[in-house]
Amino acid sequence: MELLLNGNFLAILGAAIAAMAGIGSAIGVGLVGSAAAGVVAEDPKKFGPTLMLQALPGTQGIYGLLIAFIILNKIGLITGNMVDLTTAQGGFFLASSLPIGIIGTLSAIHQGKVAASGVMLISKRPEEIAKAMVYAAMVETYAVLALLASFLMVNGL
Amino acid sequence: MAIVKMNKINIIGLNNKKPFLIKDLMDLGVVEISSLDEKLTDPEWIDYVKKDGNEIEVLNYDVQISKISEVLESLDKYNTEKKPLFSSKKTVTTNEFSEKILDTRRIKANVSEILELNKVLNTLSSEKNKIEGVISSLMPWAGYNIPLEVSETRYTRIFTGTIPSIMDLEKLKGHLEEKTDSFYFQVIGSDKDQYYISTICLAKEKEDIHEILKQYGFNNVSFKEFEGTAAENIAKYEKQLEEISERRNKTEESIRSATIYEEEIQLYYDHLVIERDKNSILSNLLITDTSFYIEGWTPEPTKEKVEEVLNKYQCWFEISQPEEDEEYPILLQNNSMVEPLEAVTELYSLPSSSNIDPTSSMWFFFILFFGMMFGDVGYGLMLVVSTSILLKKYHIEGTFGKMLKTLFYAGVSTMFWGLMFGSWFGDGIAAAANVFLKADLVIKPLWLNPMDDPMVVLIVSFALGLIHLLVGLAINGYMLIRDGKILDAVFDVGFWYLFIIGPVLLLLGGNFAETGKYLTIIGMVGLVLTQGREKKGIISKLISGILSLYGITGYLSDVLSYSRLLALGLATGVVSSVLSIIGSMGGSTFLGMILFTVVFVFGHSFNFAINALGSFVHSARLQYVEFFGKFYEGGGEPFNPLMKKTKYTKIIKEEN
Repeated sequence: MELLLNGNFLAILGAAIAAMAGIGSAIGVGLVGSAAAGVVAEDPKKFGPTLMLQALPGTQGIYGLLIAFIILNKIGLITGNMVDLTTAQGGFFLASSLPIGIIGTLSAIHQGKVAASGVMLISKRPEEIAKAMVYAAMVETYAVLALLASFLMVNGL
Repeated sequence: MAIVKMNKINIIGLNNKKPFLIKDLMDLGVVEISSLDEKLTDPEWIDYVKKDGNEIEVLNYDVQISKISEVLESLDKYNTEKKPLFSSKKTVTTNEFSEKILDTRRIKANVSEILELNKVLNTLSSEKNKIEGVISSLMPWAGYNIPLEVSETRYTRIFTGTIPSIMDLEKLKGHLEEKTDSFYFQVIGSDKDQYYISTICLAKEKEDIHEILKQYGFNNVSFKEFEGTAAENIAKYEKQLEEISERRNKTEESIRSATIYEEEIQLYYDHLVIERDKNSILSNLLITDTSFYIEGWTPEPTKEKVEEVLNKYQCWFEISQPEEDEEYPILLQNNSMVEPLEAVTELYSLPSSSNIDPTSSMWFFFILFFGMMFGDVGYGLMLVVSTSILLKKYHIEGTFGKMLKTLFYAGVSTMFWGLMFGSWFGDGIAAAANVFLKADLVIKPLWLNPMDDPMVVLIVSFALGLIHLLVGLAINGYMLIRDGKILDAVFDVGFWYLFIIGPVLLLLGGNFAETGKYLTIIGMVGLVLTQGREKKGIISKLISGILSLYGITGYLSDVLSYSRLLALGLATGVVSSVLSIIGSMGGSTFLGMILFTVVFVFGHSFNFAINALGSFVHSARLQYVEFFGKFYEGGGEPFNPLMKKTKYTKIIKEEN
């Protein structure tokens, strides 16, 4: 119980939650990868375009890492001189990690689904790769907004 | 802003001039010949004309082309010479081209020889598969030293076969011993599924023994087609395999030695494609017994050249403007600076002919946004250098070439924003100076570091976005005015301008606030009064007018969407600084330097690739969704003229 009220613990928990956007990216990238493998089995020349689509849901993991890194940097964990935080301060960091942690995870999974359908699209119409990518980028918008929300919160602390 | 003006062209000429005319039009490469299939069902036409074209001839060409592409593929496969990463077309003049393919007999002979060699390779590999199958079936019997063809002698009978491995062989032996004491049981081999066994018994007891064996799942294997022991046979077949691989090598060597003809065969391929296209276009023509009829499109600027050719063959022709609202094929023309971005437009969709070419208006924003999201001097330099090398070395044309040039400009913009943000591989250069030289290097941004002042960059992003949207809206207004719909331009664009700029001024406050208030009010009233003008009845007019104000939320979310300019820029920058911190963990020691180098090279390659992709996609998205949404209408058909669609050579006209 004492641990739960420790400000430093809460801040690190926040960093961990932010980094967990990687769960969504892993699922999303996995979805696209298995769809892409099927298409490439038919036509190995499609490796390049499908790889580009597969990379798209991977960004949420990076956004999560980014917020986690900024939090760890702010509380001095990376330089090795961790500052003592009050419960409230730790709680602020925890709260600011939520947008990217939650929205990042969910948007990556859905972006993965869209990109996997995009793989199917370019298996039939390879020239339409840009459209497949724009569809996937539409989902990413919300991850970008979440990143921005988290960033502005952390940066303000 | 240039969709090239197209003219409709109708041609009637004499059949005996037809092949020459088609050839000359193909050389010109500026006339698209449309299909006339619907005329064939038109009762006014049907009695006089029939469809031209010779499908069998076209099919013949297709067969030859597919054979030759098989040949070229195999030549490519066995050619050991180093191939360039990107192949570029060879340039030949028309005369050289026709000279080189003059000796078609010899080229055809080479082609059929290589096809023959390919066939030999196929038979050899199927033989190889067969023999390998036999060897693997004999392998378990390698330890069996009775000749395989012997299955009985005068007094004995030999059983050879398999027993599933779940059976207990000791029990089987006991069972056999119970029956008789004159037998010989041997386990020759086993794998995870079964035992390979042989049993010798007296001929008179063979029924009983077989019966017992069968109870244990015995499956007879006979070797009627073999002679000698299994080991001898295996050795024999392995020798055959060696022979086959030797013959294979020889055949491959002969194919390899034929690569000197590759260029010739490529020329021949292109020649066949040209001939095929000449023949297949005929099916778009209508003919009578003595004359032909062509309908098509030709761009305005090349009108004279086409007229010249048509006059030469004494054709009757008519060149006319397309009717209003008639869709015509789209050809884009822009100056060499803007032209590469046509690739981005094409990726979305070509404009419909009543629309406008958005390439030149989006050029600046695309490059600007890409640079802002990627924003790093090092990465920009990597883009600029790599694309220039590729373009210089391989003369890449077409969409891919345009894409490379786009990335070149994007790289320049990336370097610009990198300087503004003070980002050189993030803080990689400073960190490197620290690790290698123990020096404290501080690279100051020309403007500011987005990590320190994110709010400023965010507001600039929104402002750029607002300008982008207003430009899009202005293009919409321009098109409305161009089409004579001046009132629509005022209602749908003008009032929105007031209703967007007004609130912005209000937000800014200060001296502008008062002006902003009035602009907002005028805009709102204007929209409420005009947006329902297509509805009937005052009340529904008013309701749709008021509802239209809700459209401001669309503009709001459009503007917010430009926050990605900051967010993606941060993503590039922060990952770079993470790399610097990880790389610097080893300190200024020798091992630390190695660690730094490894992290730097791999980390930045990864960051470069993923963020270049992200910046491109998101910069394109801002054009496609936010910008094009304001005015653009795609769906144009590309202009597809009759021309030499060669794959390996670029044929240029002789200079006189």
